[in-house]
Amino acid sequence: MRKRVSGFEVFYLSLFFVVLYLPVLSVILYSFNASSSTAQWSGLTLDWYRELFRDRVIGQAFLVSLQVAILTALLSAVLGTAAAVISLAVTKGMQKTIQGVMILPLLVPEVALGVSLLVFFNGLGLPFGHLTLVLSHSLFCVPYVYIMVQLRLAEIDRSIIESARDLGATKWQTVKTIILPLVMPSITTASLLAIAMSLDDVVISTFMSGPRTTTLPVHIFSMMRVGVTPKVNALCTLILVGTFFVIGLNQVISKNSKLRGLSD
Amino acid sequence: MKTVRQNLLAIPILVWFGLLVGIPLIYVVVLSFMSRDSLGNIVFQFTLENYQRVFDPVYLKVFLNSFLLAVLTGIITLVIGYPVAYITAKLERKQRAAAIGLIMLPFWISSLLRTYGWVILLGSSGVINNILIALKLIDAPIPMMYKFSTTLIGTAYMLIPFMIIAIYNSVDKLDQSLLEASYDLGASRWKTFLKITLPLTVPGIAGGFTLVFIPALGLYFIADLLGGGQTVFLGNLINTLATRGRNRPLAAAFSVGMILLVLGVLAVYGRITKDKVEGLFK
Amino acid sequence: MKKPLLSLVNINKFFGDVHVLKDITLDIQQGEFLTLLGPSGCGKTTLLRCIAGLERIDSGDMLLNGVSIKELEPNKRNVNTVFQNYALFPHLNVYDNIAYGPRVKRTMAEPELQEKVAEMLDLVQMTGYEGRMPHQLSGGQRQRIAIARALINQPDILLLDEPLGALDLKLRKHMQTELSQLQKKTGTTFVYVTHDQDEALNMSDRIAVLSQGRIQQIGTPREIYNNPVNLFVADFIGDRNLLEVEVLATADSYSQVKLGSRIINVRSAAYLEAGQRGMLAVHKDKLRIAAEPGPNSLAGTVLSVHYAGYQIRVEVQIEDAVITAVEYQQSESDYQVGDQVYLSWDDHGAILLPMEAGSA
Repeated sequence: MRKRVSGFEVFYLSLFFVVLYLPVLSVILYSFNASSSTAQWSGLTLDWYRELFRDRVIGQAFLVSLQVAILTALLSAVLGTAAAVISLAVTKGMQKTIQGVMILPLLVPEVALGVSLLVFFNGLGLPFGHLTLVLSHSLFCVPYVYIMVQLRLAEIDRSIIESARDLGATKWQTVKTIILPLVMPSITTASLLAIAMSLDDVVISTFMSGPRTTTLPVHIFSMMRVGVTPKVNALCTLILVGTFFVIGLNQVISKNSKLRGLSD
Repeated sequence: MKTVRQNLLAIPILVWFGLLVGIPLIYVVVLSFMSRDSLGNIVFQFTLENYQRVFDPVYLKVFLNSFLLAVLTGIITLVIGYPVAYITAKLERKQRAAAIGLIMLPFWISSLLRTYGWVILLGSSGVINNILIALKLIDAPIPMMYKFSTTLIGTAYMLIPFMIIAIYNSVDKLDQSLLEASYDLGASRWKTFLKITLPLTVPGIAGGFTLVFIPALGLYFIADLLGGGQTVFLGNLINTLATRGRNRPLAAAFSVGMILLVLGVLAVYGRITKDKVEGLFK
Repeated sequence: MKKPLLSLVNINKFFGDVHVLKDITLDIQQGEFLTLLGPSGCGKTTLLRCIAGLERIDSGDMLLNGVSIKELEPNKRNVNTVFQNYALFPHLNVYDNIAYGPRVKRTMAEPELQEKVAEMLDLVQMTGYEGRMPHQLSGGQRQRIAIARALINQPDILLLDEPLGALDLKLRKHMQTELSQLQKKTGTTFVYVTHDQDEALNMSDRIAVLSQGRIQQIGTPREIYNNPVNLFVADFIGDRNLLEVEVLATADSYSQVKLGSRIINVRSAAYLEAGQRGMLAVHKDKLRIAAEPGPNSLAGTVLSVHYAGYQIRVEVQIEDAVITAVEYQQSESDYQVGDQVYLSWDDHGAILLPMEAGSA
């Protein structure tokens, strides 16, 4: 029955995608507008990009965000993968516990999570900055790595893991030589998603930023609140280009690994 | 071979979770019962005052606004998203993969950028008004920003991919032969949809609703950028109280209220789908 | 008596409340090809997994060369498994798959390993396939690599879990021969799990028939085929007519029984008292049909005749019972429905069994 898509249905779907991407395209388009107002289109310019590169504060915020994102992704990849792989070895009850623990941070609204971490870190006297940002971002990144790796693990035939043990591998050797290589594509994708999510987070970061460690989204947010400026458009466009470059790279990598039969 | 001893391996994960989620959440609950001194510093003295203030009509209205926003977001994303999921599931393999890619891609795009796009589109000197004026359809720009509905559009726009993916997964799982049997027995397409497809995709709808409802409660930056603070939502209030207002016990009380709201929705989800919450993320 | 290579002593295994292996006791000799045969769910695969160490046993013991291995992890047991779906590592090529065991156990240096892998590939006739990935191989080729990968470890026992199940019929027949030859060539002890009696009868030195978690009978293929000890084995192996009879007398493993109103003499698997009911199991392909009566023969009427390629199935009504006889094309006789015929069999063609199905 997979067929018979009517003309109206095609129209509806197309319209939906147009609306879905219209706001994104507007941002990109207006980043090249010579006028500083959206009221008029006064020709193409790259001025806003030039101005962007002169902005020290933005550069600083971007650096903070990038450092936090990479550290978050590393931490999340390790913890999320560990949680998924360890789930294979523990009892049913513990498996359920790990699953619950992984899903809970996704169920608490970010604002509530942010407040709870704010008061908690404050109570501990932790300085707000890279550490608090990475720890808090790991809360919503670790679960995604866990979920993606677990879905991949579920696809792996149990007898493949058993045969490694049968052929003489210790548990740790099995993890190292069989399980990790097989789930690696999922870990890579999940880590990239973690970078994207960390680079994008406003809500929790607002609570976690320190005096000299404002992240890029928090800074952009404050710029946006002040008013419309094409500099923001230019910045957003650059981030978008960066993100898509990374996604494309990941696609190429995973396609290669598919060719090698890593994941089919 | 699994042994109880191997459960020890899970300890680092449980510690990570306990330190960053468990204890902070407990601390928030405790804090919501604390008082403040005249300078605004937290005093460890039990009080119910924070909760009494939550039930103050002014604050109650904030709860209502947020609840309304989340529910309406759920409904709008469902109404718009269901056909998208349904049609996508009917596409040929290649087109289907492309459509799913397009639906998921926004997850990778900065949510600030996506919100800001609407500012450009809807502003009084924004794209839509410019076009309408250029076409001489209107003389003066229509005010479209800084309303409850603007926030609603932005929130629904932000979260609709979650809804579509949740529904798509359940539509995709439908046994095609069931539909064929229904056509075969003489049911019209519309009737088949109402009697077979819709009831069987209820779990997907419930899942999508939950996945949309929860973040809709707290995306305060959308309310800030598109709603301009005209309507106060829980997220904005908690943020203001916790950072600038320095009334953290009250912020904690509101957070507890927000979490209770989420628990309520999860309970309904569990009732409808008879599934555990884990099912949400499959 | 030779000392057994592997002794299974009173093994019991539960999955929750389900008793899947019941008092399994079995000795496996060095160099033999032993088959665990039974219907699905009889516990044969579980028993294999217990030997491999992939499942723990709840009671009993396992002695390999006289040493208990029941507490050992699978990687510490010198037995290797060929899994039903081959379980080749999808991210490793043929060479690395075969080299996996020695590498993780660090038993060989690279030059020696290379030699050994080449030897194994030669053994399974897959030389030249070193660089292929598993998904580039056919089912039969994967099968061979799985065997090579297990044999390179020089296991005391090679465990094979329905290894031919996923192959088509023609390839299955071919691989049966190949496996038997391989086993003889390497002298490795094989423990082979299957539900296919043809496979078991063709390849094995001995067969252990399992049902409901219990060993029903152990013996050579000939013993199992001709002398089933109970009704389960008689029904499961070979193609038999099962006829309920009344025992008149038993002496020296022979009984006189009454089938309807006819009285005949048959071999008896157990001592059955006069007056008891018993089940007479008669091989369909060991029945002879004749137009004239002979000693110990049963008179009946032809009910139907089916030509099925090289064989003819004739159904004969004898009073209340219907007996099917299978004849091969060479018989010159041509029976018609309604003909009066006489059925007889050689001594080993039939056996009298107690009424109980088997031990559960």
